[in-house]
Amino acid sequence: MLKNPVKNATAILGAMLMSTLLGVASSAFAEDVIRVGAPLPLTGPLSPEGEKQKRGYDLWAKTVNAEGGISVGGKSYQVEIEYVDYESNTPRAVQTAERLISENDVDFLFSPFGSGATKAASGVSERYGIPTIAATASSTAVYNQGYRYLFGTFTPNATLTDPLARLVKNSDEEIETVAIYARNDLFPLAIAEEMEKSAKKHGFEVVSFSEYAIGTMDHASALTVMRREEPDWVFATGYINDLILVRKQMSDLGLSPKVLTMIAGPAYQEFIDATGDLSNNVSSAAWWHPAVDYDGEGTFGTTDAYLEAFKEEYGARPDYAEASASAAGVILQLAIQQAGTLDPKAVRDALANMDTTTFYGPIRFGDTGQIVSLEPPVFQIQDREAKVIYPDSVKQTDLQFGGIE
Amino acid sequence: MNKKAVVSVAVVVAIIAALPVLGDNYLMRLGTMFGMYATLALSWNIIGGYAGYPSFATAAFFGLGAYTGALLQGAGVPMPLAWVAACASAALFAALLGLAILHLKGHYFAIASLIVGEVLVEVATSWRSLTGGGMGLNLPVLRMGVEAQSRLFFWSMYTLGVLALLMNWLVARSRLGFGLNCIRQNEDASAMVGINTKRYKVMAFTCSAVLVGGAGAMYASWVYYIEPPDVFDVLTSVKPIVMALLGGAGTVLGPAIGAGVFLVMEEVVWRNFLDVHSAILGILIVALIFLLPNGLLGLAIRRRKAAIVARLPTLAKRRKA
Amino acid sequence: MLYLQVLINGLVLGGLYACIAVGFSLVWGVLNVINILHGSFVILGSYVAYFAYVHLGIHPFYSIILAGAVLFALGYALQLGLINRVVGAPVLTTLVLTFGLDLLLNNAMLVAFSADYRSIQLANPLGRMDLGEVTLPLDRVASMLFALGLTGLLYLLLGRSRIGRAIVAVRMDREAAALMGVRVRRVYAITFGVGAMMAGAAGSLLALIFPISPLNSSEFLGIAFVVCVMGGLGSITGAMIGGLALGVIESFAALFIGPEHGLTIAFTLLILLLMFKPTGIMGRRGYE
Repeated sequence: MLKNPVKNATAILGAMLMSTLLGVASSAFAEDVIRVGAPLPLTGPLSPEGEKQKRGYDLWAKTVNAEGGISVGGKSYQVEIEYVDYESNTPRAVQTAERLISENDVDFLFSPFGSGATKAASGVSERYGIPTIAATASSTAVYNQGYRYLFGTFTPNATLTDPLARLVKNSDEEIETVAIYARNDLFPLAIAEEMEKSAKKHGFEVVSFSEYAIGTMDHASALTVMRREEPDWVFATGYINDLILVRKQMSDLGLSPKVLTMIAGPAYQEFIDATGDLSNNVSSAAWWHPAVDYDGEGTFGTTDAYLEAFKEEYGARPDYAEASASAAGVILQLAIQQAGTLDPKAVRDALANMDTTTFYGPIRFGDTGQIVSLEPPVFQIQDREAKVIYPDSVKQTDLQFGGIE
Repeated sequence: MNKKAVVSVAVVVAIIAALPVLGDNYLMRLGTMFGMYATLALSWNIIGGYAGYPSFATAAFFGLGAYTGALLQGAGVPMPLAWVAACASAALFAALLGLAILHLKGHYFAIASLIVGEVLVEVATSWRSLTGGGMGLNLPVLRMGVEAQSRLFFWSMYTLGVLALLMNWLVARSRLGFGLNCIRQNEDASAMVGINTKRYKVMAFTCSAVLVGGAGAMYASWVYYIEPPDVFDVLTSVKPIVMALLGGAGTVLGPAIGAGVFLVMEEVVWRNFLDVHSAILGILIVALIFLLPNGLLGLAIRRRKAAIVARLPTLAKRRKA
Repeated sequence: MLYLQVLINGLVLGGLYACIAVGFSLVWGVLNVINILHGSFVILGSYVAYFAYVHLGIHPFYSIILAGAVLFALGYALQLGLINRVVGAPVLTTLVLTFGLDLLLNNAMLVAFSADYRSIQLANPLGRMDLGEVTLPLDRVASMLFALGLTGLLYLLLGRSRIGRAIVAVRMDREAAALMGVRVRRVYAITFGVGAMMAGAAGSLLALIFPISPLNSSEFLGIAFVVCVMGGLGSITGAMIGGLALGVIESFAALFIGPEHGLTIAFTLLILLLMFKPTGIMGRRGYE
């Protein structure tokens, strides 16, 4: 058969080229497949977050397909996720969303990372009427645009800071002053402002609220000034790289408040790995924590089963971002099954009326599409492990004061 | 450029303008991107190609235009007016900036122009009362259908690209183009033969900004949401340079061709390589530097020259006969 | 006391900045190449130090040698194989070439090491020393001293050694050097290699201080740019002064005007400096 190797090689090369060029289009011919578009920041500054979401989606898709897919009206559909990298560039995310919907004909969409890109891209899915699940958007501003096709698995930012402030206030320690240090960026700034409100509401004195620019390589001056203010509580926001640096420099300069809260970062194992013993006694809050224990519907079912599956696949414990991505899949799956059809309008209605429990927790969306049924856990790193200190139902230990060296 | 070339360019321009006939929204989005890229590359060409000043200020003009347009639209100014104002603000800014930094040469100029963008991004980020800072800025949503919107933005951006092409053509044929050419080859000598180099350079710098400001504002209206790191992205300065070099810097058509080729390349690579597309793009860029040092247009011109040289003996014979 | 602390913070930071910039400055001055790869070189050096520490237990201060050697080899090969071919081309060509190479290298690191931020946890950190109200972070100070030491070594290398004198000769007048029997292309390759080596060494020192990820490369490149222009191109002392100046300016700007404005102020000063004294603080003529 292989009479002419050169010709064969050319043919193979040609076929490869064609298949790469048409790679996206070819999968569209497969029948009995539910296709979900997922624009993710796989390169650029947000790529660690993008990878997390991808892990979450992948695990869900793999598990649900192994179970025989999603049954819709007696017929089984396999799940296929179309990933596109939007290079951590918001407009590119919007462009990607449009491409996935109009070119790749995806049936549903998982939104891009974070509140900013989700807000920007939600306009596209709304125009096309494609049900979209946001796994990492918390700002209420994303959901109060009056859109009907957007649903999110994160509760508003205030639900993170309020329990923290209450918890510290109700303790026996004398904590009176708070210094807030925030990255001048969409989410870190929003959560810092929320913290300022929560702190004032609970009678703390906010001694300073300072911001640092994106890409700041040195926090020494800001922390030196903060050291003079001698705050009881330091509340720092940013992404994981900022917070690792802030934590190290706090130690360099001998700034040791009684309470140190950092959002978002300590929920990730990478933060503990990178700061070692310095991570001890850092408190934080996140939308989810593996310490919760639910028995629910859909793929995975229980939280334990999810942790097990995740460990088997990736050899690690899932954090809130990964779990939320998997949960987005499960929620979509339940909505499709409930609707009994792939019709976007019917699935959208099923999402809006959803009232169930999954491994991630109880799922009920408010009028704006943002989840209302979850109580985000507050936790503290003790002995290099994130332990839940609130709510009481899943509490593992008490908040410890001091010990920030 | 001779008449035939002008006519064929006009035909191509008209054909691309008819893109909406196909009714594919995504294709229109690409078409809009093409208009934007062409505008940026052709604008850069005036200062970078003709005058030989390696400007990295494109992102600064683009971001400035985007914020001007967004703020004005937010204040209730009609969209087209906001676009025009963005052009004006970018041009004014470029003229003033040009007076300040155009005496620098080579790398120094490159860096000064690059840092201007960095300063603006910091200003936009920290001036929260005006720009919304890191929270970004939302623009009013247009009350019209999806199709109508994509047609509107395609044609607007494309018109801007065509204007940029016209500007290049006019500059190349004018005294300004001649002067810039002289400045590129030997600035001191040009000054000695009576060319007002400062005035010419500032004019060129302003030309390279005016339409970029407009493109920024259109872009803002198009995507509804802008934030400082996005509209002042350094890549917005770098990509037009790559496009111009790709097509042939200092030529009228080169940057436009480069923009088209770059867009296609970017799109194909981005589509087919999930997480290594920037590496592939890097390899392509490196290959281009070595294989096409004078750009695509340079290649075509060399071919034609080679063809003429090859035909010389025949021509000579004919002459004799 | 506050001012003294901020001054010390700035000097420590500035010493590291100088070390990041010095290799970049050398390449720019001698080859007239703006090396966009420099930031990624620094990161690669950090990864060498990180893996050497995690797997072999080598302290980052000793990994300087390892990281320097790896990066020298990479830089030498790149210059000899690719960049030498276009070294006489206009500014933009070499710039775009190194830009393309940087896309490649950075993406390769992203795939190989992932974007996750890593950091070295020393088994025996030096901790901090309190002198009255002033605190000295000792690991940082040690890194900074090493950085300045390395910069000093490079200075000696250029002034005293044969190859150093060849590099200086090529920088001053390529044609004359060639006539004197200097093999210019080889000198170029060595210069680029030394530039990369300094980046690798800097990366090794920085591994103790900054979280390591390919995503940081543009920040390091930006610092190298600013420091070089501030201090004056192509001179080692210029890079040293420029680095220290940037560190101190950034720290005091953050103190007086607010941490979110530290960089803005530094950049604005830089533009003013460029406008009025383009040859930098040291006032040497640039090599264009």
